Amino acid sequence: MSGAPLLSVENLSGGYGEIVVVNGFSLDLAGGEVACVTGRNGVGKSTLVRLVTGSLKPSSGRVVFRGRDLTAAPAHGRARQGMGYAPQEGVVFDNLTVAENLTLHHKDRSLERYGDLFTAFPRLSERLTQRAGTLSGGEKKILSFCRALAEDTVLVILDEPTEGVQPENIALMAEAIRRGKETGRAFLIVEQNLSLVEAVADAAYLLDHGECVYSTTERDGLRARLSERLQL
Amino acid sequence: MAFSRAASLALAALLLAFPFLSDSFTAYQLGLYLLYGMVAQGIALCWGRAGFLPLGQALFFGIGAYLAGAALKAGVGWALLVPAFAVACLVPALLAGLVGALVFNRQIGSGPYFSLITLALSMLGFQLANSLNGVTGGFNGMTGIPGLPGIDTYETLYFVIVGALIVSTLLLAHVMRAPFGQLLIAVRENEERLQFFGFRTSMLKAAAFAISGGVAGLAGALYAPHQGIVTPQAVGFLLSAELVIWTAVGGRFGLIGPVVGAVLIGFMAAGLRDTFRYWEVAVALVFIAVVLRLPGGIGGLFPSVLRLFAGEAELGKSGIAPHPLAERGHRSAPDLRFDAVGVSMGPVNILNGLDFAISRTGIHCIIGPNGAGKTSALNVLTGRLPLATGDISWRGASLANTRPYIAARSGIGRKFQVPSIFPELTVSQNIEIAVWANRLSAREMFSMQPYAWTTEMLTELRQRFPSLTEGEKSAGSLSVGQRQMLDFSMTLLAEPDLVLLDEPCAGLSAEETRQMIEAIAAIAAETQATFIIIEHDMQVVERLSDHVLVMHQGALLANGTMTEIRANPDVKRVYAGGTK
Amino acid sequence: MELVATYGLNFAYSTATLGLIVLGLAVVFGLLGVMNMAHGEFVMLGAYSALMVQQAGLPYVLAIPLALFVCGAFGWLIEWSVIRHLYRRPFDTFLATWGIAILMRKGVEVTFGREYQSIDQSLPGTVEFFGIDYPAYRLVLMALIVALFAGLFVWYQRSNTGARIKAMVENPELAAAVGIDTARLSRATFIAGVATAGLAGVLLAPLVRVEPYMGLDYLLNSFFILVVGGLGTLEGLLTGSGIIGGADVVISAIFDKTAGYLGVLTISILFLWLRPDGIFSRR
Repeated sequence: MSGAPLLSVENLSGGYGEIVVVNGFSLDLAGGEVACVTGRNGVGKSTLVRLVTGSLKPSSGRVVFRGRDLTAAPAHGRARQGMGYAPQEGVVFDNLTVAENLTLHHKDRSLERYGDLFTAFPRLSERLTQRAGTLSGGEKKILSFCRALAEDTVLVILDEPTEGVQPENIALMAEAIRRGKETGRAFLIVEQNLSLVEAVADAAYLLDHGECVYSTTERDGLRARLSERLQL
Repeated sequence: MAFSRAASLALAALLLAFPFLSDSFTAYQLGLYLLYGMVAQGIALCWGRAGFLPLGQALFFGIGAYLAGAALKAGVGWALLVPAFAVACLVPALLAGLVGALVFNRQIGSGPYFSLITLALSMLGFQLANSLNGVTGGFNGMTGIPGLPGIDTYETLYFVIVGALIVSTLLLAHVMRAPFGQLLIAVRENEERLQFFGFRTSMLKAAAFAISGGVAGLAGALYAPHQGIVTPQAVGFLLSAELVIWTAVGGRFGLIGPVVGAVLIGFMAAGLRDTFRYWEVAVALVFIAVVLRLPGGIGGLFPSVLRLFAGEAELGKSGIAPHPLAERGHRSAPDLRFDAVGVSMGPVNILNGLDFAISRTGIHCIIGPNGAGKTSALNVLTGRLPLATGDISWRGASLANTRPYIAARSGIGRKFQVPSIFPELTVSQNIEIAVWANRLSAREMFSMQPYAWTTEMLTELRQRFPSLTEGEKSAGSLSVGQRQMLDFSMTLLAEPDLVLLDEPCAGLSAEETRQMIEAIAAIAAETQATFIIIEHDMQVVERLSDHVLVMHQGALLANGTMTEIRANPDVKRVYAGGTK
Repeated sequence: MELVATYGLNFAYSTATLGLIVLGLAVVFGLLGVMNMAHGEFVMLGAYSALMVQQAGLPYVLAIPLALFVCGAFGWLIEWSVIRHLYRRPFDTFLATWGIAILMRKGVEVTFGREYQSIDQSLPGTVEFFGIDYPAYRLVLMALIVALFAGLFVWYQRSNTGARIKAMVENPELAAAVGIDTARLSRATFIAGVATAGLAGVLLAPLVRVEPYMGLDYLLNSFFILVVGGLGTLEGLLTGSGIIGGADVVISAIFDKTAGYLGVLTISILFLWLRPDGIFSRR
């Protein structure tokens, strides 16, 4: 991969009202790369994700995606540019069916773009006509994960994708992420589950108090180093 | 303060001198607008202060008017007229209080439903006034109401009205300055938090509504002799609507603004209605602009001028110890039991037969993966979630389906994960409310003395957390860490016997986390209170406590010392894959 | 038998027309959370569109596109200028739209005068139905309303736009994050809602009194129906219309019109107090 990165986050800051939650965060992400952001609860990880997806307006800094400055672009515009997003909470539309959840943002309403994922998570394809509100917490997370990984996304943003998910499905998620990398997609993953981080990360960032306090691209002993720094 | 008193006196003098500066007809007109202004002041108390909008205030105005009108028509002398006027105030006040108590007791928050109910009541009143011919005179109204005995309606009644306005303004100003008024702001800002300090907020709101109803009744009682006729319009929807517009345009956060709004729009309407056809369209535009851009109305444009008239009270900050908390088996061993507690939200079971007991003081930690039901356990204990099955008991009494203020009154203090404070109030006002928790009597709500209360705990917390000493700072401008510390301090200032802390170190820096841990450990040792702490960080857990409860999928998975927990195979399995 | 038929038809008529009137508010308040206090004024605007068509001597049918255009255009204007800044602040929409309602009432009063207007029925006369003579226009109106609701129901359940609206109502942030332009969708929904109110105005104009203040009654009835039936579903809307319309018909028949009105108000107050989330809520 050469040339400009797919996603460039430059000195991004933002928060809620007067409170700054994320302070000057930067990262570059090329196609086929996985960046993981980790840190304790309440350090600003989800806020960072919301600043990148456009759900929240940054107070300063830039978000450049596929060579375009999207800092001022609304969330739906970024999604249409190819950002797939699975949030930490409120992950699916409970009142819609599973199929509607997967297709409502596509004009053709075709489910074909999820072919591989249905093979990996057969439970989902069995429940297409069911209301998403009837799924368990882990199943909702998987549904949201799959929506973010639809074939037409080029950058997949996942906020704590493994929360409440069974270990065997976490392994399948890691597998799906690796396959996604091979097709040239980039991943930005916020995760506290270090085993997933260890399994997929090309770069890891440790967030504390809204600032990046440690970053590494060295994969050897990644988990031990992160784990050590997560302690006080 | 002295200057403010001078300004207020000047304003009162100006009002009293008005008939001599102008002509008596204009003064007569002004009298009517001042009466409307009084009603608008009551709306300002409810809406600007406490955050709920009464939309049918004319109902109380009209009831007062009909009652006073009937008394005047009966031709009784002053000896009976004075009690009749008192009734004309009290009946609307009681009605408003009753409506408020009934509605607010069922619905927390200040949603639109209360407003719609008051609106419907006002329409109901209008329809009744229209159809009860024998009592109200029906559609044509109650006519031929004589003036007050010995008072000329077109000359001297004006001074009576100004007198009544001064009295009601002083009364409302005192109510707003007293702890009651500060609590109303707290209701507006964060009603739920106030309940966790043991305040029954529905009654605070009902009391504010009752006061506004009484003031409206008084204005109505003077309206009857002023106009000589009371028609159903006096209770109806249209007058109610206009009253709210006057309040909004004049400024709903003070007491002068609403009167200014009523007088200004009243006079402009009288002058322009016939010459400028689009006059009311213009008023509507101004109203929309106020809603969109200028929530403080005209009063918000001249805050410095208005501050002259509503100076801060001289508060004796000398430091008086409040009366001690009532004896309730203080600091005796806790006795908290969860018996097969089940909680469900829709089809999902959040808690699934949660069973545990805590029978000794000290610090107990609850850990467990996200979604295990830790926060829900605290929610059901404090009446924030309904209990579906099982029972919870605290010191032998059941807390099943309790309410937050009852849990607080039985000695349970709670701090949420996201700091929950009163952002528009200053740091010291936040602290005052916490010191008042479980201590303030109904009488003391209207006395200035509680502002001077201080406790040993407050002194200690100020030493630990220097940000608490910046009392004049608005709490909304604090950083996340400072908010956490303020919220934590407020929880402890109520001196609960059982302290529930939900991730007290979330969002804190390493240094702040260290301070917080130290504070928790020291205060737990000093006060002999019982702490239950939800915590993710095992390091924090290890430093604070040797008793750990592990929750998983809505039930207790393990329970014991840190070493026991570490060795437990179930816990290992649940935490497999994660570092924590 | 005839009596039963008469009351049955009156009840059906009252439910259907109430349902039509409340539909626009159900969209704007139930889906977007905008407490549109100017809802009745859009009904009024629709009725005055019919008046304009009649005064110009044009066929009555033309009032429908005119009302849709007038209400749609005005709806666009106030959505753009006021409402879009206030989504998810219901209390402020309540106040702002109230100002807008006054504006519309006074605007119409200045243009057309305060007096009552009469609008001719395009389908005068009665037809025999279940053994009684019933006004033809009312029967046609009921058929139209049933067709409208059926069409709407199917469209909302099946179409992609229906799914997007549901998604936006449930979780606006997620809806935007998956690529739905929520600002545009909200605007379109708002305009559709107020245009529906205008349509109700056209269809009802020949049957009701038409004057600048007519909107107030429709507004309050509509709110009460939504509160009684619960927000967000078509079934709730029809149940609410049935309860409010039925109570009015029954109490009016036993006592008088005033008692019917008082009964409706009392029921509404009780619902607002005890079951603000509607009759189907499990609270």
